[in-house]
Amino acid sequence: MQLTFDADVERFRAEFAAFLDANLPSEAETGERAYSSAHVPEWARRWQRLLFDSGWLLPGNPPEFGGRNASILEQYVHLEELDRRRIYHSFNPQGLGIIAASLLSFGSEEQKRRWAVPILRVEITAALGMSEPGAGSDLASLRTRAVLDGDHFVVNGQKIWTSGAHDADVLLTFVRTDPDAPKHKGISVLLIPTDTPGVTRRPFGSLIDRDDVDFNEVFFDDVRVPAENLVGALNNGWHVANGSLGHERTLLWLSFALRLEELARDFRPVDALDRDAYARLVMDAQALRLLGSAALARAARGEQDVAALSVLKLLGSEAVQKASEQAMESAGVAALEHPGMTAPYAHLNLEAFSAGWFERYARSFAGTIAGGTSEIQRTIVAERVLGLPRS
Amino acid sequence: MLFEFDSDQRLWQKTIHEVLVKECPPALIRGIADEGADPAPLWRVYADLGWTELTEPSEAVELAIVLEELGWATDPTPYLATMTWFTPLAPGVADGGQTGSAVLDGVSARRDRDGWVLSGVARHVLDGDRADRLAVVTDAGVFAVPAADVRATRVDVFDPTLHIAEVSLPGVRVGDDARTGADPRAARDLALTGLALTIVGACRRVLELTLDHVRTREQFGAPIGSFQAVKHKAVDMHVALERARALAYFAALTIAADDPRRRLAASMAKAAAGECQSVVFRNGLQLFGAMGFTWENDLQFALKRAVAGELLLGGAAEHRALIAEEYRAAHV
Repeated sequence: MQLTFDADVERFRAEFAAFLDANLPSEAETGERAYSSAHVPEWARRWQRLLFDSGWLLPGNPPEFGGRNASILEQYVHLEELDRRRIYHSFNPQGLGIIAASLLSFGSEEQKRRWAVPILRVEITAALGMSEPGAGSDLASLRTRAVLDGDHFVVNGQKIWTSGAHDADVLLTFVRTDPDAPKHKGISVLLIPTDTPGVTRRPFGSLIDRDDVDFNEVFFDDVRVPAENLVGALNNGWHVANGSLGHERTLLWLSFALRLEELARDFRPVDALDRDAYARLVMDAQALRLLGSAALARAARGEQDVAALSVLKLLGSEAVQKASEQAMESAGVAALEHPGMTAPYAHLNLEAFSAGWFERYARSFAGTIAGGTSEIQRTIVAERVLGLPRS
Repeated sequence: MLFEFDSDQRLWQKTIHEVLVKECPPALIRGIADEGADPAPLWRVYADLGWTELTEPSEAVELAIVLEELGWATDPTPYLATMTWFTPLAPGVADGGQTGSAVLDGVSARRDRDGWVLSGVARHVLDGDRADRLAVVTDAGVFAVPAADVRATRVDVFDPTLHIAEVSLPGVRVGDDARTGADPRAARDLALTGLALTIVGACRRVLELTLDHVRTREQFGAPIGSFQAVKHKAVDMHVALERARALAYFAALTIAADDPRRRLAASMAKAAAGECQSVVFRNGLQLFGAMGFTWENDLQFALKRAVAGELLLGGAAEHRALIAEEYRAAHV
């Protein structure tokens, strides 16, 4: 057990910090805001490309894919340094963290060159087409069909919750290619350019604001997709799905730890009840860091303990929610103000700056719903960590 | 920061656990609770194995490992009081194998020609009735006093193997050399961390027993552990335990490293353990149903030890008040 990182990791941190200090976009440059998770303003494209070209975009990748073969601990301090300056490495986070990562794991060399590198250099943006009206937590029930017709797949069906689809150039789409196989076994993955005839995207607002438009419904009507756009083997899509989501799971807890630390900064307890909740928040943040660093140590040894990461997601997302609710209640009627200015001004992260307490509480539900609901996480932990029987 | 045991620590934990499975089984605890059996031979086992020599602050994590396992086993000896109450207040005073505890409040010291006169009564002193020596905290410093010089009476408590005593010092004369020079503020951190680890160990035992029960107990033609309502309660126990355990070892690590966060960390450990026992007691006893509500079921020993830990040295709410104050003073 140790309280600090080894010197080589700290040297890596210092090198990246120096790069950031020299290259961080200035306030004058960053006027245009990102409107969805696949809309990337010109300045943010330049920023991401600079990171890619300098090997600082995804340091765990090899140099040709925007990295420098960094260890998992180095990847962790990289994210810490980015967050400390309140900037993202990409404004198309799913494109970077899930789609490009999946292509690098499961795609052909041609697909890496043609799709992954342009996504990493944000010449194009990408969105993830997984959920459907009848397939949310039960993802393997998805029904969007793809039928091979000569050298093309013909796709029919519907996706929903497809974040950023209306601004994305390509969708990584999970489709059913064998309707007769058991449900986990007949799924495949296709890259579908959004300008293909028959693709219709319908964005809709979130509960946060009618103008907070990231969700999409995507309809596929006889969409012809070149067979070469198949990612991984035919009917091996469930394997790709697990790998795709696994990419973002290892360090997902860090985003909750950071939200908790922001709350500890922004929430000013007034009375004894507030202070009681505040102390729980401080403890949750510390515990998450500790448990996260243990998970990091396991990952550094090459162990993938997906179920243990569910514990971190559960703890982190619910702690953020509880603390946000308490901060809202403490603010009283002022919590209704929208926008609300509850965080310090940060030109690289205006959304946090302008969110009121009620909004912050409402947003916390993204944490307990997206990426596997808390209920699903509890069932995973019960069965895979505690060894309780399946129902 | 890498927060996991190294290979020596893993081996140490395994060794401790194996000793306790053999030397401190539920039958022994039951013999003490029901027939008044003497735990002294068990104490000598600990001393012979060198567990009582973990007195250096730098060994706090190794000591923490012992304490968690002892919490798991519902340790019936005065190990916790000796190692985390007495020793930090009176370092180097006791010989190996001697037991100790501490009187933390209620006693005043008056100077006279020959030294000091200690007077007062302290209630709820852990192992006050069976410690060889007591460290007595007063406004004039900490004094090490032989047990023979005080009057101690064991008080009946709900945890049948826990020793709690009322200790009175009716004008006990001690020399200046009885002052230990220890700082009670620093000693507090290990006492809190020790209790937190005891609670964590006891809660781990409750969870293990509960999981065994819900895996095997069948109703409506299925193990009750297959029902979602049961599963989710068990997971809440597990998450609370993971959180409390992490904070307890963090506190031990800050003591070992003499990190400036040690005071905050000790309160976080105690508060998190308190929150953990609340969930674990409630869900554990509930999921066990009527079977857990019997004297015959060994579940009771771990349940009672977990709650006893919460009630000693300030509960979770009291420590959360300290945490809010301490954290905001340091960060805001």
